[in-house]
Amino acid sequence: MKPRGGYNVNPIGGPSLDIEKLAPPKMLCIPLSSKHLTFSELSVADGDTVTCGQTLAVDPESFSVPLIASCGGVVSLTKLDGHIVIENLSCPSDPAPTPEVPLHAPYDAGHAAENRQKLLELGAWRFVSNARTHKVADPEGKPSAVIVSIVHLEPFVAHGGAICKDKVDELVRGMEHLQSLLEYQTIHLVMPDVKNALAQKIQETIRGHAWLKLSEVPLQMRYPFDNQTLLARHLGLFDKGGETVWYIPAAGVLAFDNALSYGQPTTTSRISLAGPVVKEPKHLEVKIGHPIADILDGRLNRDQDVRVINGGILTGVQIPAEQTGVGVECSGITVLETPTVREMFGWLRPGADRRSFSKCFLSALKGTFKENLSTSLRGEGRPCVSCGHCVEVCPAGIMPNLIHKYLFSDELELAQKLRTDLCVECGLCSYVCLSKIDLYDQMARAKVQIAEELGQPEDQQVTEEPETEVLV
Amino acid sequence: MKFLANLLDKARPKFEDGGAFRPMKPLFDAIDAFMFNPLSQAKLAPHARDPLDVKRYMSMVIIALLPATFAAFYFYGWRMLPVIMVSYMAGGAVEVLFAVIRKEEINEGFLVTGLLFPLILPPGLPLWMVAVGVIFGVLVGKEIFGGTGRNLFNPALVGRCFLLLSYGGPMGGAWIEPGGGLFGRLFEYKSVAVDAVSQATPLAQAAAETPVITPLGDLFFGNVLGCAGETSALALILGGVLLLLFRVASWRTIGSTLIAFGLMTALLVGGDINTVLFHYLAGGLLLGTFFMATDPVSGPSTNGGKFVYGALIGVATALIRLKTPLVEGMMFAILTGNMFAPIIDEVFIALHVRRLQNEK
Ligand code: SF4
Ligand code: SF4
Repeated sequence: MKPRGGYNVNPIGGPSLDIEKLAPPKMLCIPLSSKHLTFSELSVADGDTVTCGQTLAVDPESFSVPLIASCGGVVSLTKLDGHIVIENLSCPSDPAPTPEVPLHAPYDAGHAAENRQKLLELGAWRFVSNARTHKVADPEGKPSAVIVSIVHLEPFVAHGGAICKDKVDELVRGMEHLQSLLEYQTIHLVMPDVKNALAQKIQETIRGHAWLKLSEVPLQMRYPFDNQTLLARHLGLFDKGGETVWYIPAAGVLAFDNALSYGQPTTTSRISLAGPVVKEPKHLEVKIGHPIADILDGRLNRDQDVRVINGGILTGVQIPAEQTGVGVECSGITVLETPTVREMFGWLRPGADRRSFSKCFLSALKGTFKENLSTSLRGEGRPCVSCGHCVEVCPAGIMPNLIHKYLFSDELELAQKLRTDLCVECGLCSYVCLSKIDLYDQMARAKVQIAEELGQPEDQQVTEEPETEVLV
Repeated sequence: MKFLANLLDKARPKFEDGGAFRPMKPLFDAIDAFMFNPLSQAKLAPHARDPLDVKRYMSMVIIALLPATFAAFYFYGWRMLPVIMVSYMAGGAVEVLFAVIRKEEINEGFLVTGLLFPLILPPGLPLWMVAVGVIFGVLVGKEIFGGTGRNLFNPALVGRCFLLLSYGGPMGGAWIEPGGGLFGRLFEYKSVAVDAVSQATPLAQAAAETPVITPLGDLFFGNVLGCAGETSALALILGGVLLLLFRVASWRTIGSTLIAFGLMTALLVGGDINTVLFHYLAGGLLLGTFFMATDPVSGPSTNGGKFVYGALIGVATALIRLKTPLVEGMMFAILTGNMFAPIIDEVFIALHVRRLQNEK
């Protein structure tokens, strides 16, 4: 299927590829829930002393993937609601040098089942998701194809180039481990176009490893074409009906290597810290649970009138920065200014500095440039004027304006017919809407509501692959 | 500037809950937001938004209407100023009234209607008729449907239709002889049509017993009799090009209206290229195509639907002009199009659903 829609929001304050490794903090605040995971089953009690790598809790809904202590210390369950706090940390400031391991992993299909188990226990399995549902994939399942992507296009989230920086060997070895888990399935490696330096380096490293069944996919760098569901759709991987496609981001492949080459859990994360009010937008290597307030301290241009967001501009979630830490699924921290100055006759200005999806500003005559963004709504809520921008921008090929209309009049069946379920929750429709309608939020809610109240209509029912024992 | 901001800040509490002027809050908000960008924030993700808003969007239409407005001043004198003011004030009053009753925001849509309306009226029309027409148009064409965004018909056309049916005489005769020269009638205030009876618009002349075909050059520049903003093809084409460049108007609607109209006219007149050109330039075709058929609210919202809708309007205009006693058909054609828009949409939505059915 041909990619359609999409749009690159181009804000000032994107992270550079520099990576700063943060020293371990005084304490860790590890959130118990994130976008797709809820670690509701605790494995530790208040006051327990844990060691680095120990399981703190598991998510029973997601094949019991564990939440791993990213540092040893004393557990407190009461200090912060919804978090496990670890104090009196005993992280070595200089971790032991990693043992030498061969540059390439041998093809080891014989231990696939064991290795999957190992990945699960060491917390690396949580990166493997079902490309259709975005939920953790079944560790015993058999995918029809696997997508590995080193591209993240949402503005301000961690850049694939930073995640893989100085880790190309590990990345390739991780993919070798991954291939050993599979039977014959192809790994679709999604990369920026071939001229990209990182892509070239990866290709060089891969060359000569014939048993790696790779298909390189140069990606059109337009948001949100890096979305896992869209990737699978664009590659036609769903076409044969109801097939399970795995998606693993670069960070996950590196976690695979950590687990299977070194037997280690992944306790750190490379995240971005970005936004127009961040002094030096770049990437940070932090422990899972590193308090956000600690990260922001001294790194912002201003203390007040900011919004701190877990994730990127378009789909991130606002967080109480003072009261949380870096979660397992955190890919970046975005800090935006909240507007405080009212501009006179703003709507009349020629707008050479305003970058718009439309052609209604002088900026339409300029090429691409970066724009200063804040949390301003930049307009007022109005009824839909049917401008069609949301339809034009939607990468899923559905009509958000029409679905909005049907939801407004409570016609859920019609919203279902218009395939609200195809929405990949990219947020672009809300971004471009000139009536400032929160279409994205409505779509996301309607998807859940439709699934709960109406279920799948018969003709669209996805026939689940039988859960056969396929492991070699 | 600071002074103004302070003034608004001071006045604001009077319009909030418990204030003396609470009912007028929509009006205050509109003025306030007109002067200064509101500080409202994106509450939900996405945390930042595109700079385009409805105000800006509507002002682009107004910018595109400026050449035609200027042409109206040039050809028919500065009486256009009170005409436009009356239209804005009367239409605005209805808009404010309904915003107050509904406790909703004032909608920017009437900014376009208020300017568009005088441009589709004979320039010599009495001011009170302008007021009556715009009030009827906004009230019946828009407010009873629930305001901008929910209206079925183009409000300006509803107003004009009403005037035509109620005051056919002045609507068909209040023409003003167009000015010429460097300044045209820019400095004249011409209220009553001179020789109104003996004159007719180019379309009427062409349809008369002994047809007179106005030279194409005159039609192109606009120094002919006609509705204030409709005569100058040059100004309208300029505006239409702007609308297309701003991407505010749909090229699908415009393209299909113009092509269908041309083909149908050619068919009816036996392929005479001059007559076809004459019909393109005369009357309200260009203004209607660029500024009314493209109204996204009263037209279909599906892309395919826009082609059909445009074609319907083009064909209907040609048929009404050439096959009925009426000399001008644009207005009825667009109103008919408006009426069919939801049905056209229905068909294309069904196709859209069919196409999506097998998407995984
Ligand atoms: S409807 Fe969904 S996929 Fe389409 S633009 Fe909106 S959020 Fe993105
Ligand atoms: S972008 Fe907003 S105003 Fe435009 S059609 Fe979509 S919902 Fe309506």
